[in-house]
Amino acid sequence: MVVDGLDLDVPAGEIVGLIGANGAGKTTTVECVQGLRRPDAGILRVLGYDPVTQAGELRPLIGSQLQDSALPDRLRVVEAVGLFGTARARDGGELLEQFGLAQRRRSAFGSLSGGERQRLFLVLALLNRPRLVILDELTQGLDPAARRDVWAAVRQLHDEGTTVLLVTHEMDEAEALCGRVVAMRAGRVLDAGAPADLVDRHAGTATIRFSMPDAPALLLDQVRRLDGVHEVERAGARVTVRGTRPVIAHVGAALVRWGPVPADLSVHVPTLEDALLGLLDGADAGEVAEHGELVGGRK
Amino acid sequence: MSTAMNTAAGRLIGAELKLMTRDPLVLTFVFAFPIVTMLIIGGAFGTKPNSGFEGTNPAHWYVASYLTVVIAAVGLVMLPVHLASYRERGVLRRFAAAGFPRWSFAVAQLVVGLITIAVACALLLAVAAPVYGLPALHDGWRVGMALAFGAVGFVSLGVLLGTLLPSARSAQAVGLLLFFPSFLLGAGGPPPHVMGSVVRHIAGPLPLTLLTNAVRGPWLGLGPASGSLAGLVLLTVACTAVAARRAVL
Repeated sequence: MVVDGLDLDVPAGEIVGLIGANGAGKTTTVECVQGLRRPDAGILRVLGYDPVTQAGELRPLIGSQLQDSALPDRLRVVEAVGLFGTARARDGGELLEQFGLAQRRRSAFGSLSGGERQRLFLVLALLNRPRLVILDELTQGLDPAARRDVWAAVRQLHDEGTTVLLVTHEMDEAEALCGRVVAMRAGRVLDAGAPADLVDRHAGTATIRFSMPDAPALLLDQVRRLDGVHEVERAGARVTVRGTRPVIAHVGAALVRWGPVPADLSVHVPTLEDALLGLLDGADAGEVAEHGELVGGRK
Repeated sequence: MSTAMNTAAGRLIGAELKLMTRDPLVLTFVFAFPIVTMLIIGGAFGTKPNSGFEGTNPAHWYVASYLTVVIAAVGLVMLPVHLASYRERGVLRRFAAAGFPRWSFAVAQLVVGLITIAVACALLLAVAAPVYGLPALHDGWRVGMALAFGAVGFVSLGVLLGTLLPSARSAQAVGLLLFFPSFLLGAGGPPPHVMGSVVRHIAGPLPLTLLTNAVRGPWLGLGPASGSLAGLVLLTVACTAVAARRAVL
């Protein structure tokens, strides 16, 4: 693969997400950004430096948490902080306190839980006052409680004004944390923008479902005529209405006016995941203008 | 000292030394195994000069030989497993991404390997001294040179194996497969006179045999072993050159 014209702006103090399915080229991109992989061709500049030929100048400015990367099992938390801390390092003890690891400072890396390990990686990523923090699949394999802990830690970074490039294939994570996301597929950028904008552009449809045996044709006609309704489907007693998000309120109001509200009424609000699926479908159909061509490189 | 330890290589050396003392494989193979086997086999042939040992005290023959077993254990078992494990688990990528200078890890491994060898050899001699006595050094300079080249060569070989083998398990399997035949044929096994000619021919060019001959000969007054020392120097230069290129972050 190749990186060609991949325009990845990460505004200072923001969290920018790189999203896409597995194999989209997200990790390849951040490995190129950190100089861990050499692009086959093209020009890549990060904070004004070439990541390959000026790795010595660039890497101290970046804090990173790499996918599938560990520390020696017998290395203690406090020793890891000492090992990775340079002359410009912040107070490691304060960071451990901030990320809830102060009680574990004497513990070996191998004895930490998944969430504790990821929080330690965050501490190490922040230790040397980086200008850019790269987090690659930060919550992969964590249970829901640990994920929430790590998300809270990332929000702390944002609150402190740290610039973050977050790589994830978890759309709820991108939606919860990122001010801007870049959607990729097969090494190319499909679209970029705020999560809500991507949802509006590529997954604007809300879905309302309810059961109504003997649903009167008059009600269904009323619903069909509501502003923003795209389609009304009926399969036996099951009714499905699709339309813009305001339709949710209009259909709800119509049902209230008609009589008892169906007990199984459910609403699906479009999410970033729907938007990405819409983008991928659109790309399959050749409808999405691709913004750039990413092509990987050699390690 | 504190300034040196604040450099990337210094911090890596400090951390790696601590980790080494917590690694059961290192404690077993580098520290315990050579001492225990030396005590057993050193006592098996008595302490009277014996023609099968080129007229030397058999216990002293093995004391001189077992220093090289320590070096081989570091180079063939400890370092390959250690490095392959780091590569397999992404520890090296983490060091690289964190901005550790390209040469810092290679330098750290060299220093840690040499310190480990020095400590383990000192321990072995400290145990041997009250039990069998230490053989007099006939040519200290040559012994020192052989030990220095052997230590650097085997550390480089270990680093090289660690960068080539895909996982810690494969490194352990290959390392043990290289170590035990080398140990039995070239250093700590039966004396050469009980080996058949075919086995002696196989043992002759093994790196550990070269090292053992280059240490034992001048130590016990059996000759300068110049051919073995020359072979050892060539091996060390080659391994160090290749390992240095492969071990950069």
